Amino acid sequence: MDAVLVLPFTGIFISLLVYLIGQWLFDKTNGFFLFTPLLVGMVLGIVILMIWAKVTGSTTATVYKAYYKPGGDIIFWFLNPATMAFAIPLYRRNDVFKKYWFDAILTLFIGGFISLFGIHLVCKLFGLSATSTAAMLPQAATTAVAMPVAAGIGGDSAVTAMACILNAVVIYALAEFLIKVLRLKQIPKVGTGLGLGSAGHTVGSAKAVQLGSIQGAMASVAVVGIAVAMDVLVPIYYALFMK
Amino acid sequence: MEKKPAEKKAAPILVQMGIFAAILFVSSLISSLFPASFVVPTPLIGMVILYILLATHIVKLEQVEKFGDLMISLIAFMFVPSGIQLAGSLGLMKREGLQDIIVSVIATIIILVVIAYVGALIIKIHQKITGRTDDEEESEKGGN
Repeated sequence: MDAVLVLPFTGIFISLLVYLIGQWLFDKTNGFFLFTPLLVGMVLGIVILMIWAKVTGSTTATVYKAYYKPGGDIIFWFLNPATMAFAIPLYRRNDVFKKYWFDAILTLFIGGFISLFGIHLVCKLFGLSATSTAAMLPQAATTAVAMPVAAGIGGDSAVTAMACILNAVVIYALAEFLIKVLRLKQIPKVGTGLGLGSAGHTVGSAKAVQLGSIQGAMASVAVVGIAVAMDVLVPIYYALFMK
Repeated sequence: MEKKPAEKKAAPILVQMGIFAAILFVSSLISSLFPASFVVPTPLIGMVILYILLATHIVKLEQVEKFGDLMISLIAFMFVPSGIQLAGSLGLMKREGLQDIIVSVIATIIILVVIAYVGALIIKIHQKITGRTDDEEESEKGGN
């Protein structure tokens, strides 16, 4: 039995099961934000592994490594082509990107650096350990980029993944509220689009498209651009202020 | 997204996967050249290469679009294993999980505010310097 359970089938099945349960809950509740399929999938998956560990008298980390990870890694690998595919929505809006490329890149680098200061400050305020702080810094980049960047400066990439997931949940739940409170409709559209794309990636892009075509285009630019910016800025920031 | 009126015939899906695989393979080679202190992940390089190939028309949109769109439509699901990975770091989560969650939420808002307003500022400065008031500002007045 054990020899079978360590095969990738287990992890792939668990991943699909928990995600589909999440999707079902999400539909049933008409899109309640805490039932975002990914968030439900993540929590439910961890709970399943915890119960599994309890029943077999093992630790959750062991169960995760031995039974979930082989399958999980296969799904995780597909983040490579999926992340790379973000170039396609950017290219589709190349007309807008060509017009504002200079402003966009400048914004993502300057804004990105200031964001790192802000995040670092909040981490200090809440007394996070060095491992968690390093994990928090690159979260504006898309998960598949943020995780290795965080690991590169000594962060726990699992915490980074959680932070990225929470970004999407926050933007999904609060985008309308934040747009109103932060008066994001009153500022130039390029800024709004870049902000939503950086903070919420695909979810932010979906929200930005609802605001208008330029916002949507700039969000697509931001998903790619902020990943590049974070990859460059985080190691620099780390070397300057955290070593 | 907007589609061109005359839809060109999509390349066979295996060809599309082949293009992705080739770019990722080259990206992984490039990625390995960077030192451990300055990680440049494979998908990031792949993203940039794919964009350059599209912008220079070496690769056509219809040669990568179908597979790429499929991948993006499934991306939320693909994040499940990275989320469940936390099961391996439950010790850290027990110690400061709540703080991590709060900081993540605040960080999201920081990123949104800072990028949006820096962007707005840069656009305004840029327009002042060039003295151009293009459609951006005009539609702004009508937009609200």
